[in-house]
Amino acid sequence: MKLYGNKKTALLFIAPALLFVLLFIYYPIVQNFFLSLYRWKAFGEERTWVGLQYYKRIAQDPVFLIALKNNFLYALISIVFQVGFGLVIAAILEETFFRRFQGFFRTVFFMPSVISITVVGLLFQLVYHPSIGLLNNFLKAVGLENLTRAWLGESGSAIFAIVATSQWQYIGYIMLLFLVAIQKIPRGLYESAEIDGAGALQRFFYITVPQVKETIIMTSIITVIGGFKVFDEVYVMTAGGPGRSTEVLATYLYRSGFRNDEMGMASAIASIIFVITFVLTLVQLYVNKRIAED
Amino acid sequence: MRRKIALLLCLVMLTGLFAGCGNEGAPAQGGTSDQVTIKFLHKWPNPEYNDYFVSAVAKFEEENPGIKISMDSAGDEAIKDKIRVVMGTSEQPDVFFSWSGEFAKNFIREGNVLDLTPYLEANAEWKDGIMQAGLEPFMDDGKYYGIPYRINGKFFVYNKEIFEANGLSEPKTWAEFLTVLETIKGTGIAPIGLGNIYPWAGAHYITGLNQKLVPDDVRRVDYVKETGEYTDPGYVKALEYLKELKDNGYFQEGVNSTEHNMTLEMFYGGQVGMVYVELEEFVDFDENFADKWGFFPMPAIEGAPGNQNFLTGAPDGFMVSSKTAHPEEAVKFLEFLTNLENSTEMVKTLGWPSPVIGAVNSENSSESLVAGLNAVSEAEGMALWLDTDIDIRISDVYLPALQELLNNDKTPEQIMKEVQDVSQRIKTE
Repeated sequence: MKLYGNKKTALLFIAPALLFVLLFIYYPIVQNFFLSLYRWKAFGEERTWVGLQYYKRIAQDPVFLIALKNNFLYALISIVFQVGFGLVIAAILEETFFRRFQGFFRTVFFMPSVISITVVGLLFQLVYHPSIGLLNNFLKAVGLENLTRAWLGESGSAIFAIVATSQWQYIGYIMLLFLVAIQKIPRGLYESAEIDGAGALQRFFYITVPQVKETIIMTSIITVIGGFKVFDEVYVMTAGGPGRSTEVLATYLYRSGFRNDEMGMASAIASIIFVITFVLTLVQLYVNKRIAED
Repeated sequence: MRRKIALLLCLVMLTGLFAGCGNEGAPAQGGTSDQVTIKFLHKWPNPEYNDYFVSAVAKFEEENPGIKISMDSAGDEAIKDKIRVVMGTSEQPDVFFSWSGEFAKNFIREGNVLDLTPYLEANAEWKDGIMQAGLEPFMDDGKYYGIPYRINGKFFVYNKEIFEANGLSEPKTWAEFLTVLETIKGTGIAPIGLGNIYPWAGAHYITGLNQKLVPDDVRRVDYVKETGEYTDPGYVKALEYLKELKDNGYFQEGVNSTEHNMTLEMFYGGQVGMVYVELEEFVDFDENFADKWGFFPMPAIEGAPGNQNFLTGAPDGFMVSSKTAHPEEAVKFLEFLTNLENSTEMVKTLGWPSPVIGAVNSENSSESLVAGLNAVSEAEGMALWLDTDIDIRISDVYLPALQELLNNDKTPEQIMKEVQDVSQRIKTE
C-alpha cells in the first residue's frame, strides 16, 4: 500500500490537530462575534439582545480612534527602531573591529528584554518623573531646560514615552536575531567584495541587507503584531492616562470587559481587533510571497 | 495492517490529549469525609499583612477542626477584576473582600451575596459590637449584606515643623485652608503632594468636594444609576475647586506623573507640606515621621449646601456568597474574624482602624489612630469613595477626566457634560 498517496490516512493524522484548532481557535472567534451582539455581565446569567449597538458605539467613541492611532504609532515606531536600528547595531557588532567586544555588547543590549515588564514600567515611571526623574535632570544638566516636561503626565508626550521604553527594552532582542542571521552569511561574499574595493556601507547595503531579507520580514511581522497586542507597558506605566490619551486597543478592551463589566462591548472590540490583525497578516503574507518570488 | 496501526496511533494521541480533563473534585478529598472547606479571598497579598491572615486562619482551624480555610488574595487593583471574574464561576469564594457602596451593591443586586441579617439578629453581641457607620454602607433594602473589617477616613496630614515655623494652625474652613496653602507656597515648598498618575487620588478630593458642594439629597439621587442626572451646579463647582488648587500652584510639579507613594516620600523628605491620606496609612507616618505630624479633615466650605460635618471615607469588609454550600461555616469564620478579640489583635498587628467598638484603644494603637477613629465616629455621615460609590461605567469617564482637568485639557463644564451623557446612556440600558 502506498502510504504517501493515501489521503484518508493523511486526514486521520491531521484530524486531532484540526479538531483542536477548530475547537479552540475558530469556534471561539465565531462565538465571540455572537456574544458581541448581547449585553451581558461576567457574572449573572442575564443576556439582552442589542444587535450591532456596541459596534455603533465604538464607531462614535473618540477613545477607539485614540487607541487605534496609538497602536499604529506603536507598530510604526517599533519597525523603524527595532528592525531598522537593530539591524544596524547587529551589522556594526559583526564588523572585524567590534567582534572582539561582541560578547559584552550583545549581553548589554539583550539584558533589558529579559527584565519583567512590571519592573521596567516602574523604573521608567521614575526615569520620566518631572522633578526627580533622570531624564529631566539630564536635560537640565546639558542646558536643554526648555525640553523638560512631565513626560508621562501630559497627553501629548505620554504615548511616546511609553513607546520609547519599549524600544529600549526590545531592540536588543531583535538585534540578536539579526546577529544570528548575519553570522550565517558566507564570509566569502564579504571577502570578495572587499577585494573588489567595496566600503563598509556598500557591503552593508549590497550584501548584509539582501542576505538577511527573511529575518527582516520575520522581525517586521513580530514587531507589527507586537504593536497591536501591546498591553502590559501601558497598563503598568499609565493605565491609559492621562485622560484616555495612552489607551491602546487591548487596554480599551480590558477596561470595557473587566472594569466596566460590559462583556458585550469587550467582545465587539475583540472582534474588531481580530479583523484588523487578520487583514494586516494577509497583507504581510502577500508581501512576503512577492519578495520570496523575486 | 498499517492502516490499523495509524488508526491506533491516532486514538492514542487523542486519549492522551483528553486525559487530565474531567474527573476533578470527586476523589480529591482524601482523609476525613466530613471536612468542610471554605474558600476565602482577601485583598492583602503583601507578606506584612498576609502573615496576619495566615495566623488567624490557623487559629480558626485549630478551634474548628471540621473546617478548613483555603485562602487566596489579590492586590488593590487586581481584586476588582478578579472578584468580577470568579463571581460567575464555580470557583466563587465563600467569603470574599468587598468595598462598601456601589461596588458591593452590584453583587447584591445580582443575587450573589448572602443576606446576613438573620445571623446578625441571632447574635446580638456580634451586631451591637460593630459601629453602625460601618454596617450601614453594606446595607441594601434594610438588610445587612456585609461585615465591615476596616473603617477608613481621609485626612490631610501636615508637617508640624512647617506649620510652626510659619505660625499656621489647622484650618477649619476652606478660606483658612487657602491662606495656609498660600503661606506655605511662599516659603518655596509645594503645599500639597498629589500623586494622580492613577486618578483615584484626585477622585478622593472630588468625593469630599461633591459632598460639600452638592445638597445631600440631590447627590444621593444622582449616585444611584437609575436616577443619576448630575445637573446640580455643585458638581462643576467641585471640579473648579480642585482646579483652583492646581492653578494656584498648591500641588507639586507633575501631579499626573507622580505615584501616591512617591508623594509620601516627598512628605517625609520635607519637599511637600501636606498629603491627603487614609486613616490606614497613619501607621506609616508613626513609623517614619513620629511626633512631627498632625492631621485635619477636609475643611468646611462656608455657605455650601452639603452637610459640612461629613467625612470622606468608607468601611470595607467581607461578604458571603449566596451560592456557598456551607453558609453556617462561612458565617462562623466571618464572625471569628470580626469578634472583639481578633479585631483587637488585628489592630495590634496591622494598625488598621477597626469598626469593632473597643478594638482600637490606647493599649494597642497610637494616639493619632485613636484620635483619627474618634473623628470618624463623630462625623455625621460618610462620603463614600467616588470610584466605588457611583456606577463603574460613570467613574470610568469621571476619573480619567480628572487628569485632563489638572492638565488643562478639559474644562469642568466639559467633564460634567460627559458624565451626564454616560449616565443618561446607562439609564436606558
